[in-house]
Amino acid sequence: MSSDMEIDEFTALHGLVLKKAGQAGEVAEVLGATEAEVAPALDAAVAEKRAMSGRGKYMVTPAGRAWLDEQYPVLFADLRADPGADAAYAGFEEVNRELLALMTRWQTVNVGGEAVPNDHSDAEYDAAVLDQLAKLDSDADPVLEVLAGLVPRLGVHRRRLAEALARASAGETDYVSGVRVASYHTVWFELHEDLLRLLGRTREP
Amino acid sequence: MSTAIGGVVVLDGSVVPDREEIGNKAHSLATMHRLGMPVPPAFVLTTSVGKRCAGGLPDDVWADVLAALAHLEAATGRRFGEELLVSVRSGAAQSMPGMMDTILNLGITDAVEATLAAASGDAAFARDTHRRFRESYARLVGQDAPADPHEQLRAAICTVFASWGSPRAVAYRNHHRMSHDGGTAVTVQAMVYGNLDDRSGTGVLFTRDPQSGDTTPMGEFLPRGQGEDVVSGEVDPLDLADLAQRLPEVHAALLDAGRALERHARDVQDIEFTVERGRLYLLQTRVAKRSARAALKLAVDFVGEGVLTPAEALARIRPDHVATVLRPVLDPEARATATVLARGEPACPGIGSGRAVADPDEAAFAGEDEDVVLVRHATSPEDVHGMIAARAVCTEVGGRTSHAAVVSRELGCPAVVGCGEGMLAAVEGRTVTVDGTAGEILDGIVPVRTPEPSEVPALARLVAWAKEHPDAVAADHPLVAL
Repeated sequence: MSSDMEIDEFTALHGLVLKKAGQAGEVAEVLGATEAEVAPALDAAVAEKRAMSGRGKYMVTPAGRAWLDEQYPVLFADLRADPGADAAYAGFEEVNRELLALMTRWQTVNVGGEAVPNDHSDAEYDAAVLDQLAKLDSDADPVLEVLAGLVPRLGVHRRRLAEALARASAGETDYVSGVRVASYHTVWFELHEDLLRLLGRTREP
Repeated sequence: MSTAIGGVVVLDGSVVPDREEIGNKAHSLATMHRLGMPVPPAFVLTTSVGKRCAGGLPDDVWADVLAALAHLEAATGRRFGEELLVSVRSGAAQSMPGMMDTILNLGITDAVEATLAAASGDAAFARDTHRRFRESYARLVGQDAPADPHEQLRAAICTVFASWGSPRAVAYRNHHRMSHDGGTAVTVQAMVYGNLDDRSGTGVLFTRDPQSGDTTPMGEFLPRGQGEDVVSGEVDPLDLADLAQRLPEVHAALLDAGRALERHARDVQDIEFTVERGRLYLLQTRVAKRSARAALKLAVDFVGEGVLTPAEALARIRPDHVATVLRPVLDPEARATATVLARGEPACPGIGSGRAVADPDEAAFAGEDEDVVLVRHATSPEDVHGMIAARAVCTEVGGRTSHAAVVSRELGCPAVVGCGEGMLAAVEGRTVTVDGTAGEILDGIVPVRTPEPSEVPALARLVAWAKEHPDAVAADHPLVAL
C-alpha cells in the first residue's frame, strides 16, 4: 500500500526528530506515509551521515540536526511569511493551553487545594474529562484544517488525533495521556513540535 | 399527592425510585429530598420512558411533562416562559462519555432576559446568560434554540434520550461490555441564582477536611457568584467563617444538612450549594475525594464514631493509599543542612537523585547504568526517552500543565518545573536530589527515609484491624504485609 507521498531525505529526517529514535515504521506513522516509502530516505540519510542506524532503529546525528536546522527557513520561507499561518498557530496555542490543563485534570484531582493523582475510581469525573476532550478536539479541528491546507502533510495528525480520541473515549484510557502509545497527548505533543519546527518558533513557557 | 405522572417522576421526597430508573444524579437529588433537604424542585423522565422516545417524544409523555412542569411552577411560584428557567441533564445509572451535556437556563427568551436583568440588577449577566444558553443549545441540540420555551424543552429532552445512542456512548458500552438496554433518564430542574443580591451566592462544602481528614468542615462561598464561578477558581472565594458572619442562618442550615447527608451516606460529602436571596439550596452531593492521609484517618475516625465497623473501614483503604503514606521522604536532619540549588513548581511528587544531565540522549544512555536527573530548558517529544531513563526531571520554563509535567506524571517520575532561567547553569553536572513534592532541587544526595508504619497516624490501628479481620482485606493488601 502506498500513501502517494514523496518522502525525501528532509521529510524523513524531520519525521525522525519528531519520533526521536525510531524504526522506519514509527517514522512513517508520524508522517502519514508507509514504511516502504520512508526506509529508502532514511537509509540515504544514513549514507550522508545525517542519521545513524542500528538494531532496526534510526537516530539523527548532530550533523543531520544542523543540516535540518538549515533547511527549515529555506523550505518554509513562504509559510513563515504567511499571516494565515501565524493566525492558525495562535489558534493552536489557545487550544494547546486548554489541552494541557485538561490532561492535568485527567491525571490529578483537586483535594482541598492539593493535587492528588486521579485513581480513576470516579466514572463521572472521567466521563466529564473525556467529554471535554471530545469538545476540545472539535475546537481544534478548524485550526488543524487551516494548517493542513497550508502544509498537506499535517493532515495526518488530525487522523491520528481522531484515532486516539476514539480509543480513549471507548475506554482504552491509556490513549488519553499515555507515553508509550500514540495517545492523544503523544500525538498532540508531536504535532506541536512539528509546528514549532516548520514555523521556526520556540515553545511558550 | 401523587408523584408519578405516567413515567415522569416529581422529586418531592415521597419516593426514591431505583437508580436504574432515574440515574445517579437524580437518585442523589431524590435522596436529598427524602431527607428533607432544600433542593431546587425537579422532575425526572425515567429510563423506561426514554425507551419509548427513540423517534421523538410521544404526545402522552409530553402531556406528563407539562403536568410535572406545573408542579415546578407551583413549587417555585414562577411561570415557565416568564421567570422560571430550568436545567436539563442526562443521567444514567453508570456515567459514560458521549452523553449530552447539561443545558442550563433553558426557557430564557428576550422577555425573560429583561425580567432577569431587572431582578438581578445586572443587565450584563442577563445578556450573558441568554447568549451562553443559545450557544450551548445550538452546540448540544444541533439547531438554533426556538423562541418558544416549551419547544426548547421538548427538543432538549429528545436530544438527551438520543445521546444514549451516540457513537461515543455506544463505543464505551461495547468496550466495557455494558448492556445497551439501560438507557438514560432526563432530569429537569428549576434554576436558582446566586447573583441576585448581597444575600445570594454560591459555594461548596466538604463535611470534613478532605486533605487532612480533620473533622472540621471546610468550604468556600462566593457572594453574588453563580454556577461554575467557584469551581473555575477565577475569583477568590470566602471561607465558612465569613459565611457564618454574613448569613448565620444559612451557615447553620448548611452545616446541619452536611451532617445529615454525611450520616446518611456514612462518608464525607462534597456538597455544591447556592444561596438565593438568603435561602439555601443544595444542588448536588457526592462522596468527597480525599488524600491518602485523609482516607486513613477518616476510616479510623468513622469507626470511633460508631459509623463504620472495622471491617467496613478496612474496605475503604486501597493499596495505593498505604503506598502513598509510606512513600520515602527526605531525612529531616539532612534536609535541614542541604543547599537548595533551585526551586520550581512541584509537578509530580516523589524524590529522585542522580547526576544532572542536560542532554536527553546522554540521560537515556547513561541512565541504564547510573542514576541521572534530566535537566532541560523545556521538553520536546525527543526528551521523552531521556525522561523514561531519568530518576527525576527539572525544567526552567513551563508550569504544572506543561508537556513535561504531563509526561512526568504519566511516568511517575518526580518533577519540578518552571525553575526559572539559570537553573541549568546552576545544576548541570552536579549530583542533585529532586524533591517533586516540595518543588526543590537540592545539592548532593540527600538521604531519604521511609516512614515507619507506627509514625503514620491511623495506620497502626488499621494494620491491627487487618490482622483481626483477615476476611475484610485481600491477602496481598499492603495492610496485611505490614
